[in-house]
Amino acid sequence: MSSPFQQYFEEMPCYLTVQDRDFRIIDANKHFRQDFGDFEGRYCYQVYKQRSDRCEVCPVARTFRDGQSHEEEEQVCTDRGVDLSVIVNTTPIRNEAGEITAVMEMSTDITHIKNMERLLRKSEQHHHLLFNEVPCYISIQDRDLNISEANLAFLKDFGNGLGRKCFEAYKHRGEPCAPCPVQEAFEDGQLHTREEAVRSRDGTNRNVLVTAAPIRNPQGEITHVMEMSADITQVRDLEDRLTQLGLLVGSVSHGLKGLLNGLAGGVYLVNSGFKKNNQQRVEKGWATVQRNATRIQSMVSDILYYAKDRVPSWEPLSASEVAEEVCNQSELRAKELNLELVTAFDSEAGDFEADAQGVRAMLSNLVENSMDACRMDEKKSEHTVKVGVQGFTDHVQFEVEDNGVGMDEETRDKVFTLFFSSKGTGTGLGLFISDRIATAHGGSVDLESEPGVGTRFVVKLPRKRPPDVEVEPDEADLAEMEALRG
Amino acid sequence: MADEMKTVLVVDDEPDARDYLTTVLEDNGFATVIAKDGSDAIAKLEEATPDLISLDITMPEKSGVSVYRKLKEDERLKNIPVIIITGVSDEFQKFISTRRQVPPPDGYISKPVDADAFMKMVGELIG
Repeated sequence: MSSPFQQYFEEMPCYLTVQDRDFRIIDANKHFRQDFGDFEGRYCYQVYKQRSDRCEVCPVARTFRDGQSHEEEEQVCTDRGVDLSVIVNTTPIRNEAGEITAVMEMSTDITHIKNMERLLRKSEQHHHLLFNEVPCYISIQDRDLNISEANLAFLKDFGNGLGRKCFEAYKHRGEPCAPCPVQEAFEDGQLHTREEAVRSRDGTNRNVLVTAAPIRNPQGEITHVMEMSADITQVRDLEDRLTQLGLLVGSVSHGLKGLLNGLAGGVYLVNSGFKKNNQQRVEKGWATVQRNATRIQSMVSDILYYAKDRVPSWEPLSASEVAEEVCNQSELRAKELNLELVTAFDSEAGDFEADAQGVRAMLSNLVENSMDACRMDEKKSEHTVKVGVQGFTDHVQFEVEDNGVGMDEETRDKVFTLFFSSKGTGTGLGLFISDRIATAHGGSVDLESEPGVGTRFVVKLPRKRPPDVEVEPDEADLAEMEALRG
Repeated sequence: MADEMKTVLVVDDEPDARDYLTTVLEDNGFATVIAKDGSDAIAKLEEATPDLISLDITMPEKSGVSVYRKLKEDERLKNIPVIIITGVSDEFQKFISTRRQVPPPDGYISKPVDADAFMKMVGELIG
């Protein structure tokens, strides 16, 4: 090599070697010598890779073989043990006769580039992971509202929406929503948040909080909008439950105050009766105390029934026996209220499968309601509550009929509604729970009522347990209900 | 003496509550008339003019709120003192605060009614 080329060779900012056919290094530049030491008598594979024999894939060998230049990416190790990524380029060196006598190998250090590539790849994987695993639905829409990308949560719940319109995928609609947060984000480049109701592909309705964010290209133009929807169904459910709880507290508080007022009245009558030595007043007061204490007990039982949402414990029951039990329990109160409790049980009514606690609570509520209706009626001098049981082929029927105050149309319509009560001491739970118990048995409660005439409840319960109701009894609940009902 | 007795109209749908208040009032020398709901109260007020009205709020047929409104619109009845008896502590206050043209009642008593507090209020109003 002539002197100027030798100088260029020496100063090149890469590793340059010249190798013979045995891959022995016959020359090397300064940069090589700095990082790999002396080359004399050493072989390429020894220096670069600390190997004892040649590499399987060798660009130098290929250049010797075909006379062409070749490029490979390789890992090498300096004599100080530093691993480097290099791009290897080879070129043949020919003699005057054109024969290849040696090959020049140029190795350029690309370790920094490779490290950056690795970081970039890791970052991409990381973002991909976040995009897919983030616990909300993400979709990216173009100006025509076509979904171009979507994360795993979206694909799982809404199916493969790629290429579909967002309003089709999220809402099964045939036209864009109005207003549309995605279109708003396209228009003003701002974030837009809105609560929406969406329906997943299995038909489940979900409440979501949607945030639409514009995505810009390097020129600052909005090319897409990212729609991120957080599932807040549970939050909404919780809010509904809290609202119901608030109503329950209000309703219970109102009912309880009314009953406590009755108790206070009873206590006043007892105390003043003793002071005045008026036995009749004492007895009347004590009956008032007992009546209101029983009603408080019944109210607590209703509240527990409502709050626990207990499941039925199925057993064969005799329709007339269960009705008789309830009537026996109510007999004392009927006497206090000076009303007649008439029973008409068909001894052939037979058995049915039911939750004994539930049926007792239901019938008890209906009888209590009828007795209250009689108590509040001052137009008739005599009051009667009739409890009847009849058996049919596929169901048993209970009837509770009174000649109390009766209900107007508005009351009839609302009577099974949660927290509805037309009584000053009602919680609005009793008839709601009765209806729920009948429904849980696959049965029904119907009523006929006329103001000033009276009310008739008709309960129909199937003889056989409904096939889709498969539940285990809750022993703790049963024990609690039993204790409360005495 | 009977002519000098003052009369209180007790309006409540709960018989126990009516018994309680009428007994307390009668023990303290007042005559009582009872009404079992809002409609009954309006009917009783057409027959006679009591010296004071004890008015429950939550009742079927016609609520205490609507009875109160009717009372205050009637020249003959609007000056009769009214004590509101309520189990829902803020329902009447809410009604009053949203309708400024209706004057506030003369007294509130929360259920359960304290007999002494009730009679003290009655005494201050018509005693």
